[in-house]
Amino acid sequence: MTKGILLFCFDTADTQYHKILERCVALIKKNLKLEITVVTNFQTFRKINPLGFVNYKFIEPELGNKKAGKEWNNVDRHMAYELSPYDTTLVMDIDYFPFTDNLKQLLDTDYDFLVSKHAHDLSGRNSFDQRRWSMIDMVWATVFVFRKGKKAKRIFDTLKYVKNNYRYFVDMYRIFDKSFRNDYAFAIALQQANGFVEYDTVPLKISTLPPDCRVVQFTETGIAWQYQDQISYIENHDVHVLSKEVADV
Amino acid sequence: MDISELKKQSDLSYNIAIAKRNALEKTQARLVLVYNGHVFRADPQTINLVKTLGDIGISPIYILDTNSNPVEISDGKQFLQALIARNQEAISSYHQMSKTFANRND
Repeated sequence: MTKGILLFCFDTADTQYHKILERCVALIKKNLKLEITVVTNFQTFRKINPLGFVNYKFIEPELGNKKAGKEWNNVDRHMAYELSPYDTTLVMDIDYFPFTDNLKQLLDTDYDFLVSKHAHDLSGRNSFDQRRWSMIDMVWATVFVFRKGKKAKRIFDTLKYVKNNYRYFVDMYRIFDKSFRNDYAFAIALQQANGFVEYDTVPLKISTLPPDCRVVQFTETGIAWQYQDQISYIENHDVHVLSKEVADV
Repeated sequence: MDISELKKQSDLSYNIAIAKRNALEKTQARLVLVYNGHVFRADPQTINLVKTLGDIGISPIYILDTNSNPVEISDGKQFLQALIARNQEAISSYHQMSKTFANRND
């Protein structure tokens, strides 16, 4: 049984995602100690500093999606099943920084697919209560684990179907945000593939810094951020950072 | 107390409250334990159940994981040790952190 981590990274005109990737890979190597495969394109790959042993898979990202008016190349997650060289794969956003080994144990479960449904707002404002913005519980596709097999394949096939008909599903589930979002696409695919009943989840909340929190310090063990006139920090805890300025800290 | 001092104290208390919330969340994340291919929480309820079943000599034990799937545990003692070790690691870390909160409030 092979295990590893799959990351997607594509630079855009606005954000040098490869710099965020470099930070993420360093933490994976330090704390999770798992093999890594990065899905990227050649333009991004040329800018990545040497990261030690890392596998690369080259694809051309599907363009067209936007977030806050900026290019957002996040549509290719549905190909994780085909792109992963591992039997059990942990897929992570590159802006999720693993300051612990908490996620590693999830690759040792018997589940076919695990994802978290909840996020924790580190700024203390509960700003990720997404239930108000749709008729379906959102999942956080920031981090998920799948084990190759019939069930996971069915989920990814459904995900592709949802992606291809996203406008229809957005209307059906009355999702407020009309741009393509993996979190909703996965939530819909999981619900549809599981016969509209509950599915297995990880009892972890994704600790997240909202985009209006500015990261002011980034060390090997933790992160400090500023929100309004407050500066806070957390150490030895995994953090998902939504502000893309983290690339330049 | 003048208003600026009150504001300062209020801001400090707010910051500490957020730091405490985050520390608690960190503890909750650390309490998640994968054992025998299933996900559990190393919380008092799970520890008490496994200990009780062991104390009355039940083996193997059958318990539910966090997704309510039934799991057979053949070595209850080993499972209990893993639960307690994880629980105490997480809570002692939280305890250390809570001391820093107390210092900040002095």
